Amino acid sequence: MLALDNLSKHFGGVRAVDAVDLTFREGEIFGLIGPNGSGKSTTVNLITGLYTPTTGTVMLDGHDLTQMAQHERTAMGVARTFQNIRLFGNLSVAQNLWVAQNGRTQRREHFMSRWFKAGGEHGPEIEDLLRFSRLHTKRDLPASALSFGEMRRLEMARALASNPRIVLLDEPAAGASLEDGQLLAERIRDIRERGVTVLLIEHMMELVMGISDRIAVLNFGRKIAEGTPAEVQANRDVRAAYLGSKHEDEELIHA
Amino acid sequence: MDYFFFIDFLQSLTDGLLFGTTYALIGIGFTLIFGVMRKLNLAYGAAALAGTYIGLAAFLSFDAPPTLVFLLSALGSGVIGILVYYCCFRFTPADYPMASLLASVGMLLFIEEVVIHASHGMPFPYPSVFRDATIELGDIWIRGDLLFVFGICVVAMAVLFWLLYRTPLGLATRAVSQQPRAAALCGIDPTRVNLLTFGITGILGGIAGAMTAAAVGVLSPIIAMGLTVKGLIAVVIGGLGSIPGAIIGGLLVGAAENIFLLLRGVTERDIYVMLLLFLFLVLRPGGLFGSTAGRD
Repeated sequence: MLALDNLSKHFGGVRAVDAVDLTFREGEIFGLIGPNGSGKSTTVNLITGLYTPTTGTVMLDGHDLTQMAQHERTAMGVARTFQNIRLFGNLSVAQNLWVAQNGRTQRREHFMSRWFKAGGEHGPEIEDLLRFSRLHTKRDLPASALSFGEMRRLEMARALASNPRIVLLDEPAAGASLEDGQLLAERIRDIRERGVTVLLIEHMMELVMGISDRIAVLNFGRKIAEGTPAEVQANRDVRAAYLGSKHEDEELIHA
Repeated sequence: MDYFFFIDFLQSLTDGLLFGTTYALIGIGFTLIFGVMRKLNLAYGAAALAGTYIGLAAFLSFDAPPTLVFLLSALGSGVIGILVYYCCFRFTPADYPMASLLASVGMLLFIEEVVIHASHGMPFPYPSVFRDATIELGDIWIRGDLLFVFGICVVAMAVLFWLLYRTPLGLATRAVSQQPRAAALCGIDPTRVNLLTFGITGILGGIAGAMTAAAVGVLSPIIAMGLTVKGLIAVVIGGLGSIPGAIIGGLLVGAAENIFLLLRGVTERDIYVMLLLFLFLVLRPGGLFGSTAGRD
């Protein structure tokens, strides 16, 4: 559904992303991994429209997103979460979801009903997302009053509130413990159950290897491997990139 | 303390607080635009003045009733606010605030020149309501026209609060000012929010301009500088980016201005208001409610 074709982003002489081809299939959980500085975040920013690529295209079901603004891509069905959480701290939990839901619907509705219709934070869809993120008891608290884990859950729910076709999760396990990782895996599967394709950018190998249908590995901006978790784990280049070439191979497999 | 002086003091304070709501409106305008764009729009006071002149034009040409004059002033200023957005902010580089700042200074001078040229620099009578009505509270008199100014400004603020805190438009505006990147990724078009903010703050500015002229009964081009400077002082005192701060700051400027007028006379009044600004800049540069926390 979402296809990156020959995608590159150069910052001066640095090739942060270098001629990457990737295709994500409808309904899959796709893991994107790589050492620090390998171009994962730049790739996400190219897909969501923060950066304009130096070369290449981003296509969603045949629509060219490459020149679209960020909010237009959201309307097309691309949503994301952030590694460093970016909630609207002064808005309530429910309002955070309402903003995203409203942003999506704004093209379809009449001006007055779109901008001046009060009380939308009590809609059925928002109740559903509050239950999904287990935050319905905290719906009226400001988002800044939530715990770290709750903020992550709210951000994920907010991404879903824009009714995306694909959601990009940027290191959702950062700062989480191992048990949280189990719950996170369930929640990511829940997202897929809702018919949303997931692109997971993550350092926590166990999580990525456990739930991804397919994985791609970036190193120095280039794609060095792509395939099922087992295939990627067996790949020599991947081990070299992660562990250094002379290191034993055990760690990645058992990590 | 001398009783009559005490009464004079209270009278000045009351008048100042009532009139200070116009400064509060201008301060809110500066603060809202700064909130969503992180940029100062120095042409704001001039745009408010130009809008007020549009209302005046209706008054002079077909003797429009006061209500219509006020309404046209507010709407005219809203339209000019949107023009200012397109001229000075829409196409200037987003990450280089100096460009739009200087453009808005140019716009301030341009609008002022146009207004002075069109009005030959002469003051004109501006409709004023409840001129002769007063409410007497003991020895303190509350002027009817000032009370009207106060009432209109408070209603404008109430409507603004409803917009900001109860409607999707306000939610989008607040989302953009808290997390512009995340807001764009929630499907909010930042350009549209900016445009609406300039329109709405323009209307607020026009209300402030109309009420300033209504309180004096006269409209003259000098008002632009007064609105700009006093509005900015209100914002510095309250803390740029804070709406409650702009309101408190505006009331404070209004009160201080009138008290210094009583104590030191009209020629020295503004010197002391500037001193107040100076004190805030030195002792509390962030203002009373100043905070930019929670933003990139």
